[in-house]
Amino acid sequence: MSKHILIVEDEPNIIESLSFLLDRAGFTVSSEKNGAMAMERIRDLTPDLVILDVMLPNRSGFDVLRDIGELAEAPRVLMLTAKGQARDRQTAEEIGVTRFMTKPFANAEILATVQEMLT
Amino acid sequence: MPHSLTGTRIRQHRSRAGLSQTALARQAGISTSYLNLIEHNKRGIAGKILLSIARELGVPASSLTEEADSELTTSLLEAASTETAPSAETSVLAEFAGRFPGWAQLLASVYRQNRDQEAVIAALSDRLVHDPFLAESLHLMLSNITAIRSTAEILTSVEDIAAEQRTRFNAAIHDESKRLSDATQALIRYFDKEATQGAPNEAPDEVAESDVASMPLERFASTALASDFNPSALASEFRTNLHAVFRRLASLKNEGVDAPEMGLIITNAAGQTLHRHALPDFPLPRHGNACPLWPVFQGFSQPERPLQDLIELPGGTQFVTLTVALPRSEIAFGDSPNYQSAMLFLPSDQSPWSPVPQPARRVGISCRICPRENCAARSEETVL
Repeated sequence: MSKHILIVEDEPNIIESLSFLLDRAGFTVSSEKNGAMAMERIRDLTPDLVILDVMLPNRSGFDVLRDIGELAEAPRVLMLTAKGQARDRQTAEEIGVTRFMTKPFANAEILATVQEMLT
Repeated sequence: MPHSLTGTRIRQHRSRAGLSQTALARQAGISTSYLNLIEHNKRGIAGKILLSIARELGVPASSLTEEADSELTTSLLEAASTETAPSAETSVLAEFAGRFPGWAQLLASVYRQNRDQEAVIAALSDRLVHDPFLAESLHLMLSNITAIRSTAEILTSVEDIAAEQRTRFNAAIHDESKRLSDATQALIRYFDKEATQGAPNEAPDEVAESDVASMPLERFASTALASDFNPSALASEFRTNLHAVFRRLASLKNEGVDAPEMGLIITNAAGQTLHRHALPDFPLPRHGNACPLWPVFQGFSQPERPLQDLIELPGGTQFVTLTVALPRSEIAFGDSPNYQSAMLFLPSDQSPWSPVPQPARRVGISCRICPRENCAARSEETVL
């Protein structure tokens, strides 16, 4: 059974390209654009990995991450941000993010990271 | 803590006065050996003895005490405590300041200047980090770039993409490129806002007055409209030069005339801006760091030749420009002409002049805020 990845990202074109890549790599891919809906989708889908953007409409990626940390069986999280600042990284690490990646990234880079996190 | 500088100052004043230690000690009513200890800052001095020595040296007592230079001492101590001066000999700071007061003042002054500038840089840096508009813009631009990069990589590295999917990817690149251009333009406008809003016209008032006198508004406006804003025809009609006509044309809109708004920049050969009238979509840097590809600078290579160009800014907006470099004053034998170059410009879709029969030349605003890559004219890195 293929691993399930949920992409929580508000940029539709990034969702489109990431979904294409991950689908070709054999993963099951779902997506959510709204930060406020992210936890509901995570509870429903119970994904193995969440690719989570920091700046989301309605609710920040950090807020979503805090809620993920409180789940009994939390999925792994790959945090994406356009802000490569140390402050963001520190905040994410304090909350307990699994991995952290700064935009813009290469396709091979994110694919390798996802595969590494799910093996 | 440094020793008191009082003894060092007494020694300096005594030397300048041409007095021996023995003579001063006698006049002040103390022993020579005690004065020697004082002068080497090994004994403190105050009260009657200080007043007595000051009187004999002919200087105010306050000029001998360490309070006189407390700011200097503090600054030198601060300078010595910075990471860049780990081996400064603070134990002889008083001696240094006393023996070389000029150098000490210079060092303290340079240190204070550096410290103040660091504070300004820190404040600006802080603003860049915390400014919500900049943060949002950079986030948006990086997201656009991420989408374009990821999609372009797929299109160039994956062969078996369904036609429908390929079309969607192509549309995504087009869409994101447009958004990136818009975000870039917004950012450039933001950076230049302070420079353009309410920016004073740097031309002296008397020049504007002379333009008004030689080209009265009503007659100039009607002639301009009748000639389709032809600068050469206007210069001929009003018996003046093209720079004066450019200045008058650039001021027409502000004077309530129903004319297209025209921007204007006049520079000297050193790149210094002498006159500026920016347009909302064409901001003009104020301190001579404009894009060197602008026709206004090309004008210096072809003095007195009127040039018409079509240029394109990074956001994609195109402008028609009229440029001419003219001597600032009459050319005299034996003197090198002092040229100034003027560029009149307006959006190409509002141009009253005949179309330029050549492709648009891609230029920027200023290297620091220019996103163009591989530009041979770039002189500094972009913050974008």
